[in-house]
Amino acid sequence: MSSYHEEHNTSPHTQSNPQGRREIRSEFRNLYEQLTPTDPTLISLLASLLPPELQEEWGKKSNEGCSQAFIDSLPRVPKDKIPNDLCSICFENFREDEYPLVIELPHCSHKFDLQCISVWLSSNSTCPVCRDKVNHNAKLDIDTTEAELEEDWGMYG
Amino acid sequence: MSSKRISKELNDLRKDPITSFSAGPVGDDLFHWQASIMGPPDSPYAGGVFFLSIHFPTDYPFKPPKISFTTKIYHPNINANGNICLDILKDQWSPALTLSKVLLSICSLLTDANPDDPLVPEIAHIYKTDRSKYETTAREWTKKFAV
Repeated sequence: MSSYHEEHNTSPHTQSNPQGRREIRSEFRNLYEQLTPTDPTLISLLASLLPPELQEEWGKKSNEGCSQAFIDSLPRVPKDKIPNDLCSICFENFREDEYPLVIELPHCSHKFDLQCISVWLSSNSTCPVCRDKVNHNAKLDIDTTEAELEEDWGMYG
Repeated sequence: MSSKRISKELNDLRKDPITSFSAGPVGDDLFHWQASIMGPPDSPYAGGVFFLSIHFPTDYPFKPPKISFTTKIYHPNINANGNICLDILKDQWSPALTLSKVLLSICSLLTDANPDDPLVPEIAHIYKTDRSKYETTAREWTKKFAV
């Protein structure tokens, strides 16, 4: 039976420097993570060099955001219950705002300015303070309903 | 919002300075800072002063600051370019963290390296198999580059 290297026409020597490879990989990863969506050419160039499973792993974070519908549905804290405390994202006192819009995360009750938490949750799904996953199953529920509706239309249409 | 938040962090640092490090903007650019960390007394970096370069992204605090060592250091999680392997600077970043908390984490990393998630596997290997050799080299590098 032929070896892996014989079958794939590669020399085992080119594969034998895991340290160097690891360092290059780490540099590459830094480069990849530093990219902003405004560099489409560079992103596609780098993406073409990356194995798909790594692209998925490294890019996972940016796809993990909550839906706008979930963010819109976050419970507002009534004005008279807004604490005399700082928002953990902008470090401004909630009450210093003349028209404060403060929300409470349903799972952990941590409070944030709506404006601040919206930006974070649009690309993440954890609470900035306790790192708990915020509950965003709402989106899945809506999807199911829509699927069922479509099925119904098919039946009666 | 980013410059306002960075100013607040700067004011807090000026009001309550922390003994293990100092940090502040380079010139007038609020988004580019320099920091210096004192080598922790209970580590082979004791007696050294390590400089770091800090860049805040324009969407800070939603993205982590980019921090790298400009002083050479012998450490399993810091490579020759000064890049630091620390989860809170990557996927474990949270906008509730501050530069001050990150720098304190880097201080702890100097005391307790994380050889199981190394950036420089050769140093991690020595760290795990021959701790006194690692300490000797780290002390030598500290004397040579950080004193």
